Amino acid sequence: MKLYHSCRKIAFVNLFVFISFFEVFADGTLDEKVKNLTLELRCMTCQNQSIYDSEADFSKDIKKIVRTKFEEGKSEKEIKLFLVERYGEYILFKPLLNYKNWFLWSFPFIFLMFGLFFIGLKIRKN
Amino acid sequence: MKRLIVLSPLVILLIICFFILIYLLSNKDPSKPPSALINKDIPIFESKSLYETDKIIKSQDFKNKKVLINFFASWCLPCKVEHPLFFEISENYPDLFMLGFNHKDKSEDAKNYLSEDGNPYDFVGVDSDGMIALEFGVFGLPETFLINEKGKIIYKFMGPLTKEIIKNEIIPLL
Repeated sequence: MKLYHSCRKIAFVNLFVFISFFEVFADGTLDEKVKNLTLELRCMTCQNQSIYDSEADFSKDIKKIVRTKFEEGKSEKEIKLFLVERYGEYILFKPLLNYKNWFLWSFPFIFLMFGLFFIGLKIRKN
Repeated sequence: MKRLIVLSPLVILLIICFFILIYLLSNKDPSKPPSALINKDIPIFESKSLYETDKIIKSQDFKNKKVLINFFASWCLPCKVEHPLFFEISENYPDLFMLGFNHKDKSEDAKNYLSEDGNPYDFVGVDSDGMIALEFGVFGLPETFLINEKGKIIYKFMGPLTKEIIKNEIIPLL
């Protein structure tokens, strides 16, 4: 009987330790996720600071909303889109991969190809 | 004709450079990025009145109305600077619905501020946690928005309004 009570106590202690560890671990990953995302976001009221590094009121609000959205099960991409819809792409340090940006980045190369084509044409004719 | 074809890349390059130059010289302030919400529908919100807590205003209440929305707070000094100008707007444009959002403020402080400086708003909504401001993409006070009859945001201004801005940018839209 005594052995049974001791075993039960140990089992309870183990369960408690496991749950506490799991909670700390889960919070740790949430903190990491919030940190990683807010490092990629620009504090719009500061000079070249990320939301994570800033203590401005605006940054505190964004950190809070990012945490809430993660807790609601939203993905990093969904949270970024939510913020971009309201603050524009300016809030992101790294621009989104969309058609507009693809065109912007590839335009100099398209232009170069265009120029080379005409130079080639000219050389061939000469 | 052939010469023109050969020179066309150079002409295109010059045209592009010209437009880039115009853009760079157009006095754009990088600290005031354009709003992502321009020409988009007004965000969905619900706000209690500062004076009567049982009175609620919703984004759906603005059908067929032009609305001027101003985010302000009693602790915001630039808000105090632009405040008298709203009386002029409401006097000259009585059909314009003026909605003030009291942002992250104590209710008593906001009431004192509006009783001392006057209340130009048709409705003062409370945004105590800043979530309505977040929906509007606000990141500093004061900020002013103009909503057209279709419920779209047609104008946004960050910072205190001046007589010139009202005359040149807001009045033409009213």
